[in-house]
Amino acid sequence: MITVKGDFNDNRDTKLVELKEKLKKVIKRSVNVYRVDCGGCNGCEIEIFASISPVYDPERLGIKVVASPRHADVLLFTGPMTRPMRLPALRAYQATPDPKIVIAYGTCGCSGGIFHDAYSVWGGTDSIFPVDVYIPGCPPTPGATLYGIGVALDLLQQKIKGEHHVEDEVSRVQPRHPNIHPDLRKDIEREARRLSGYLHGKQIADKYLQFLEEGDLQAVDGKVKGFLKKEKDPRLVEVYLKLHQIFTARMERVTGNVG
Amino acid sequence: MFKLLKKALQVGEATVEYPFKPLEVAPGFRGKPIYNFQQCIACGACAIACPANAITMDYNLEKGIKSWKVFYGRCIFCGRCEEVCPTGAITLSPDFELAATAKEDLYCKADFRLTRCHLCGEYFVPAKELEYILAALEQAGQPGSASHITRQVMEVCPQCKRRQGIKTAVKSLPRAVGQQQGRG
Repeated sequence: MITVKGDFNDNRDTKLVELKEKLKKVIKRSVNVYRVDCGGCNGCEIEIFASISPVYDPERLGIKVVASPRHADVLLFTGPMTRPMRLPALRAYQATPDPKIVIAYGTCGCSGGIFHDAYSVWGGTDSIFPVDVYIPGCPPTPGATLYGIGVALDLLQQKIKGEHHVEDEVSRVQPRHPNIHPDLRKDIEREARRLSGYLHGKQIADKYLQFLEEGDLQAVDGKVKGFLKKEKDPRLVEVYLKLHQIFTARMERVTGNVG
Repeated sequence: MFKLLKKALQVGEATVEYPFKPLEVAPGFRGKPIYNFQQCIACGACAIACPANAITMDYNLEKGIKSWKVFYGRCIFCGRCEEVCPTGAITLSPDFELAATAKEDLYCKADFRLTRCHLCGEYFVPAKELEYILAALEQAGQPGSASHITRQVMEVCPQCKRRQGIKTAVKSLPRAVGQQQGRG
């Protein structure tokens, strides 16, 4: 099996590293990109073609997708490294003249992505080739693509940094909405999720529970009605009204019990 | 020809000036998940929900550490972690500029302390999670004076709890049943 350690010691070969640095300086406005699909789902390819469209127009920066690895300066490896596509990928790599810049494109290229433990997948591009730049994203947006190629050519600065937090002292995390009774909160959150899914349900429930911080039934009622008058989306209005029904019914029960 | 020029002038420029000017993303765009260490209680809900195994949790019972890790190079930006997080410690931001030259920059790690079981002395639960549960109980109406007793109950690992349960169950058996079982 051919791997990085055995055959491609590019990054350790000082001459090649120097050449690569020189390439980045002289390449200027003539960057030829060749993409190698190692067995992805075609999402990354579609996104690459979206990013060479006139809207993002990478030709401004001289970035061009070419049809042969013999013309290429930059190799974009998309998709996880699959067993059947390993040899073609190797051939494409060897056909590309040195010095070349290797980019692992997309989540699968970076690490094997969602297929990382599948039976025919070896992992990301870096399981075989020395990678210069990783572009995460599933798929990376055209903006992320341009940014990644910019980072590979030393035109742009890398923004992301590895983080490591260590707990020094145990601090107490307070549950959200401390002034609302947990049962009411649970009912409202469940109903919101049932009506509009987890993510939006959470956002809607959070917004509604902020109204409940008022405490007083009249004040809450006025606030919610005022908010719903401005809201244009009838679906959202219905969801908020359903949540409001839960709250009013509960309040009536509580006050009825008291009375 | 003139028609075309007229049309082109009407439409204006379609190309975005991205690398030189910031790019506007659509509302609801799912970009890099941003992790808030202060809010996290190390419950592991995100690690279970993550379909790509980008978020992983490991126990280290010798050192008493539970470590949380997200690998952006495996994240598929689906937002399930944000959905399930009970404290809102992880949220998807509109940040898409994630390219990195080294793999180490794509990791975000966090280490949490574990609490010891006060019967057998083994590490078993993140201290922050325990505190959160106590806070939630107080919010649900448990008086602050009772939290001391609750904490004592909570700081027993599941195995010790089972042992205690068996002991009390055996004690509460009527003697006759115990003898019958002995003969049977």
